[in-house]
Amino acid sequence: MHIGRSLRSKEAPRHVSGRGRFVDDLVLPRMLHACILRSPYAHARILGVQGQAAAALPGVKGVLTPDEVRELSKPFKPGRYASGLRVPIPEYSGAVGKVRYVGEPVAMVAADTRARAEDAIGAIDVDYEVLPASSTIAAASEPTAASIYEELGSNVAWEGHVSYGDVDGAFKRAHSIVRERLTIHRYSSTPLEPFACVVHRTPELLTIWCNSQSPDVIYEAITEALGIDAVRVIVPDVGGGFGQKIHLIRKYAVMTALMAVKTGRPVKWIEDRSEHMMAGGHSCEQEFNVEAAVARDGEVLGIKIQDTDDVGGSISTLTIHFTNKLNNLFNTYKVQHLRLEGRSVLTNKCPVVPNRGIGKPGMCFVWERIMDRIAQELSLDPIAVRRRNLIEVSDFPYTTPNGNIYGSGDYHALLDKVLKNVDYGDVRRRQAESRQKGVVGPLIGIGVVIGVEPGGRNAARDMAIFPQSKQMPGAGGVEGATIKLEKNGSVVFTLGSPSCGQSHETTACQIIADVLGAGPERIALASTFDSARSPWGVSASNSGNNFHLYDVGAVHGAATRLREKVIVLAAHLLQADKSAVQIENGVVSAGDRSMSFAELGKIAYGNQAMLPKGFEGGLEATYYHSHPHADPLMLPDMQGRVRAQYTFSSAAHAAVVEVDRETGRVRVVRYVIVSDNGTLINPSVVDGQIYGSAAHGISVALGEGFVYGQDGQLQTLTLLDYGKSTTLETPHIEIEHFPVPDPFTTLGQKAAGEGAAIPSPAAIASAVEDALRPFGVTVRDLPLTPERVWRMMHGSERVRA
Amino acid sequence: MKHTVDLTVNGEACSETVEARTLLVHLLRDQLGLTGTHVGCVVGECGACSVLVDGKLVKSCLMLAVQADGRDVTTIEGLSGGAALHPVQEAFVQRFALQCGFCTPGFVMAAHALLCANPDPTEAEIRQVLSSNLCMCTGYVQIVEAVKEAAARLRSCT
Repeated sequence: MHIGRSLRSKEAPRHVSGRGRFVDDLVLPRMLHACILRSPYAHARILGVQGQAAAALPGVKGVLTPDEVRELSKPFKPGRYASGLRVPIPEYSGAVGKVRYVGEPVAMVAADTRARAEDAIGAIDVDYEVLPASSTIAAASEPTAASIYEELGSNVAWEGHVSYGDVDGAFKRAHSIVRERLTIHRYSSTPLEPFACVVHRTPELLTIWCNSQSPDVIYEAITEALGIDAVRVIVPDVGGGFGQKIHLIRKYAVMTALMAVKTGRPVKWIEDRSEHMMAGGHSCEQEFNVEAAVARDGEVLGIKIQDTDDVGGSISTLTIHFTNKLNNLFNTYKVQHLRLEGRSVLTNKCPVVPNRGIGKPGMCFVWERIMDRIAQELSLDPIAVRRRNLIEVSDFPYTTPNGNIYGSGDYHALLDKVLKNVDYGDVRRRQAESRQKGVVGPLIGIGVVIGVEPGGRNAARDMAIFPQSKQMPGAGGVEGATIKLEKNGSVVFTLGSPSCGQSHETTACQIIADVLGAGPERIALASTFDSARSPWGVSASNSGNNFHLYDVGAVHGAATRLREKVIVLAAHLLQADKSAVQIENGVVSAGDRSMSFAELGKIAYGNQAMLPKGFEGGLEATYYHSHPHADPLMLPDMQGRVRAQYTFSSAAHAAVVEVDRETGRVRVVRYVIVSDNGTLINPSVVDGQIYGSAAHGISVALGEGFVYGQDGQLQTLTLLDYGKSTTLETPHIEIEHFPVPDPFTTLGQKAAGEGAAIPSPAAIASAVEDALRPFGVTVRDLPLTPERVWRMMHGSERVRA
Repeated sequence: MKHTVDLTVNGEACSETVEARTLLVHLLRDQLGLTGTHVGCVVGECGACSVLVDGKLVKSCLMLAVQADGRDVTTIEGLSGGAALHPVQEAFVQRFALQCGFCTPGFVMAAHALLCANPDPTEAEIRQVLSSNLCMCTGYVQIVEAVKEAAARLRSCT
């Protein structure tokens, strides 16, 4: 068996040797290098762009101005995340008429070298009329604020709500109402490889090599914008995605394609780090007003949440953070009555995109902060309040009030184990001792939280918010895999989605090895994603935690099909009954007769005389997987209930922190996770996903993030200023696996990708608040930078409840 | 104005013509085709472009190509010296110390330089030295384990 063990990585040998192949490694004959002129202003009207001087510089082969973008391309159709717009607004790849954030692309230059293209950027003359900028939700919401889109009349671009159960009734029954206001700042997942595109245009075909997580987005963007049907999207190795490389990257794919069309030559465009920081996409800054109706024993009877999202200067992802909250409305809790109101406010900041966990960390933060607040206000134990509200083992499979089906889990066991592993009692004893000592030494705190990790996207989710949406965004999920037993006995396969470093080749290889009976050393990925060759469907995206559900299901299905075919051929050749044929390590056998895969391959492709009558030559199988339990509620019902995602991993996190009294600096002393990701296919790969996503969430909670000035200028243009954690700030992370197989997936697997980024900000907040208990302060806002923590200790920032 | 740079890269003598402003990383990638050295930030913060210059760890985005004149450069492609994998590379594979692989060549070079200087580092020493490099995928846990593993392998070789 190869499933369940940490098979040696298939991808790692090439990467440790520098043999990875990323977009920037690609060189084509006569290829030009493009560079983008970006807006230096947060808000301005473009009165004119003069490119002639730049075009005349040595080596420059093309300049693309906003007028040409408008002439040569069509605007993007409003996607599912712009369905809530009051009026349709065209959006082009580059800025046309106005710039709405610092770094918005205005013009592009292509030259024979990158350096010459960069030189020429400075020679483009842009006449701007600078407009007042709004850099906060409050400023943008003022009636006097300058309109970011005049068509909308107000910067509050969308308002809506979802409601499940009898919320008013729950509040009438309540013993008390617990209220809180919470905020989460802007951050990103900062993949180390920025955006990259190479476009080659011939009269027959436009080929783009692009490090997109969602090649379907690129495919559709180029088809729509350029009116070209023959588009081929190739995704080679991708240097990290995390959601960053789904949406805004299409703007640059289209601009690069336009430049290739204009110059008639292949064009490469590689984003640089500061460009990515200012314009590659951020997570939303989110404000929550929360009211929980609570019984005396801590039971949450109902909850009302007002969510205001700062969506930056674009309408294209207007509701993306809001609708993603549907995936995690209830966390691990059995609460039946909920109302969530949303507001999307435009600001003159970078547009928003998904990143690890989008929307779900916010909901987990809301739930886990309010649990701590309920415990505090009712003088109950915070763990006990959580336990009072958990979905019980006997409740599974459990349907949440908004229609998500949690297949399996044991949330009490996760809490039991995490408390044991972190030595909860011992930490409390040491904390009590140190508090008795008074004002020396660091302040010790512990936070214990719990959360779910939704996996496997349902493309129809957003229709629950926008039932009027005329453009059906697709529904459910479809994704393929192809496996071929070659003439020489080796096995190659193709997946329907790209990989961004989550060991998809290794994981798929383990499944094929077990199902088909091939040795894993003879199995390899035939090529990375290529729209001309990959069996792709609506789920062809390295996002939504899709791989475990769709790709694993497709690989398993294709391997099962191919196995059946191998058995038919082998039974014929070995003169045995099909039921007597065994396959192991690339050898088929029946009794004392056997043949290798290579011998089978030679016959299957080369010798019709030896094939069974009616047998289709070759040994290849393709299978498209859809989740068999996508229904009920694949399409939203009249109550807005929909299966937003299909599997629900879960985890309990415990953080032990020490806060320095002098500086406010938080050190994470221990970070302990107990995680249920269902059946583990490769435990070390799953560990890696958990370590990475936990480290990101911890870094977010403790300070990484974007800072804007009042003028809308981004002040964190480098990774150092942005505050990305290194080996020094990142704690050692301890994991225990507690897998409860999912009853509805192919192998009992659940998602493992962004999971630990969801509860970790809440865990750190809870631990820091606990450490600061002697000061009587409440943690409401992230990030917990040393300055903010110091101010909390010294009573100068929102310190009293 | 163009300059001629004579240097040794992975044991091979090269003579290249560069602009004064050309960075070492761009000479390696664009002129010599050694694309294993990556550009993640181009301002010396991420370490993806780390190489050895005369045996010392250098971020090749912070060195001009002309400064490499007369020097001996080792990139990730030259680390194993013809063997399948160098012990540091093998440890990174074994310990799942990478995901997307973009930062990996830089981390391998940095870990190699660390172990040359300190064959038996503590975890704190490993974390101190490797704070020169950034990884967005792994949370560093398996990277630190790989460096410990590589140290043990290298010590057992000598």
